[in-house]
Amino acid sequence: MRNKLITLRVFFFGIFVLGGSCLAQQDGNCFAQTSVLPPLIDRCQPRMAKVIGAGVGRVDGYASGVIVSADGLILTSQGVFLDGRQVRVELSDGKSYSATILRRNRTLQLALLKIEVDRALDYFQLSGKPVGEKGDWVVALSNAFKVANESEPMSAMIGIIALRSTIEARLNDRDVAYKGPLVLIDAITSNPGAGGGAVINADGQLVGMIGKLINSSETNTRINYAVPSSTLKQFVEDQIAETASTSNDQEGAEALGKAYLGIVLFSLGSRNDPAYVDRVRRASPAAKLRLRPDDLIVALDGVQIGTVQEYQKVVDRLKPGVEVPIVFKRGSKLQRMEITPGEKK
Amino acid sequence: MIRFTIILFSFALPFSSVDDAVGQSAETMQATSKAIRIAAAKIEPFLVTIESYGGVGTKQGKIGGIRKQGEGNTTGILVGAEGYVITSTFNFVSRPLIITVVTSDGVRRVARPMGRDDSRKICLLKIDDVDDLPDVGACDIAKLDKMKVGQWALSMGVGYGDKSPAVSLGIISAKNRIGGRAVQTDANISPANYGGPLIDIRGNLIGICVPLNPQSSAVGAGVEWYDSGIGFAIPMDGAEALIERLKDPEVRIAPAFLGVKPTPNTDGRGMFVESVVSGSAAASAGLTAGDIILELDGKPVDDMLTLRQILNRFESGAEAEIKFLKTASGSAEARENGESNTVTATVKFLPPPQPKDGTDLLAPPKIR
Repeated sequence: MRNKLITLRVFFFGIFVLGGSCLAQQDGNCFAQTSVLPPLIDRCQPRMAKVIGAGVGRVDGYASGVIVSADGLILTSQGVFLDGRQVRVELSDGKSYSATILRRNRTLQLALLKIEVDRALDYFQLSGKPVGEKGDWVVALSNAFKVANESEPMSAMIGIIALRSTIEARLNDRDVAYKGPLVLIDAITSNPGAGGGAVINADGQLVGMIGKLINSSETNTRINYAVPSSTLKQFVEDQIAETASTSNDQEGAEALGKAYLGIVLFSLGSRNDPAYVDRVRRASPAAKLRLRPDDLIVALDGVQIGTVQEYQKVVDRLKPGVEVPIVFKRGSKLQRMEITPGEKK
Repeated sequence: MIRFTIILFSFALPFSSVDDAVGQSAETMQATSKAIRIAAAKIEPFLVTIESYGGVGTKQGKIGGIRKQGEGNTTGILVGAEGYVITSTFNFVSRPLIITVVTSDGVRRVARPMGRDDSRKICLLKIDDVDDLPDVGACDIAKLDKMKVGQWALSMGVGYGDKSPAVSLGIISAKNRIGGRAVQTDANISPANYGGPLIDIRGNLIGICVPLNPQSSAVGAGVEWYDSGIGFAIPMDGAEALIERLKDPEVRIAPAFLGVKPTPNTDGRGMFVESVVSGSAAASAGLTAGDIILELDGKPVDDMLTLRQILNRFESGAEAEIKFLKTASGSAEARENGESNTVTATVKFLPPPQPKDGTDLLAPPKIR
């Protein structure tokens, strides 16, 4: 009898404990971020740096930075604030250091700084492989608007990876200084001073570094993005030459402006007119395709053509004798063909 | 008793440890990320990239000193097998000469604009050459009555220039906004995804992302709130009749325009009418300057916001009852002397007047 009672009591106790543990489980599920992210953020704060340079006019004189080596290598975004007489770095303990600029890259909009430290610093490991995919949770740490001073920790924001992409060449060069792969995020990181901030995933790995503030000419909105860890690693290891793109440019320069299609576009004198064909020169590559007046060039060599100016830009970089696809609209239909540019006489 | 303790421990230990809770939480976060990817992949076959060529102030063009909106590629959603695409009117602010649409199979086709609803800022396009259109079936629509404030919502769009759409996570912030026309979300909504879908975590289509602002019906209004956590989508649940209407290229659904310049009535209830636009709905209903609007559609009108909210429920062509106080001289003195009488009339809303040069309606709002 007594035995039975104990068994019964144990049974009820078991239910009680189980019930309690279910609550704990629910708690864990409902407050996922609350139990995972705070320790990660705490762990990453000592790997952050505040970079203070010179403000010029309306350009801010400050940025964020990530520590990438125990001996004081710090990555930040490239900017005129680094051009001043002195660049200073404040670490999470509030100590201030004078920094030397080791390298700057205007294509990637990155700068590598070095401070002299008498202790081993906590730092971010840079991965050579992409960290994180679309939909992954990320936390951005930055000193946007210079909210934090001295030993005050960086501001944290939550978001997800919106897209891993490259900023297309189509974007206006003036608008987008950065060229290369990027990680778009849906946290609003694109703010003054946030450049050089860290974007970490839920495992505490560095997804990338918040890039310099840019506006998209495509949408006239700011783009929230990070320069991926693998690109940072290449930059730190000095595997990317500043002039990497110029070799291609030079190669292209030989052929520049020599391609000839035999298309004369209709123009009202504005550079923004759509690329309507006005005339086709006799016996030209375009004549071979039987292009006609009033055809609208929609794409050339895989590049979307919106205006006369865009058409000219693409033609200028075509090479004589190298076949490229051309898409044009006739009536309500699109026609796709291959065109082989001739050589200008 | 020993047995009791052992059993208790064996139950309590695996669940109560902090590490375990963190582990479970991490799993939950991973599961959410996975769900996001699956949901995005489910809607992707329905998404199209819309390209436009020519038009007013394209590319380098600037209107009012700032660069024009929505000039890059934009997003649309395939509706049915006949080649209809639903998207936002915002994407055609520049009135492009030619529109092409790239479907999920990568094929580019010419499309032409069909009907538009300026009160919701959505419109239909029609691809004519649909012989080899990929058969994607019909996308699942999220049910409005089952939708709850606080549930996950994902906005998507191709406006960043990549073939793969970008995705932003948020929640449903409110239902029945802008006169019941829109759901509100805190997922990022910007020119990069106007015309794109707002979906739930199961990949069901909630609605079409559009710029909206309850205070203004200008085509660009709402863009100033881009990526701010205040975003709107026009729900597709129950929109079948609307879509059917928009298949007619002549259809233009306009917001309701009353045609009064009101100010709050400082000495009593209602809105004081400063002036009335000639030929407007208000003028036809007999309103003149100096009158005091008391009620619209049976609801008291005491401030601008309330008036706007009531108007937002109507579209041009619709009728509503308006109650106003008519005074002989229009002065407060005259009213006090009892020289006023309450008039109840039917007002038939008209579309807002088109500005002569087109700039007012087309002018993009200033954003920084």
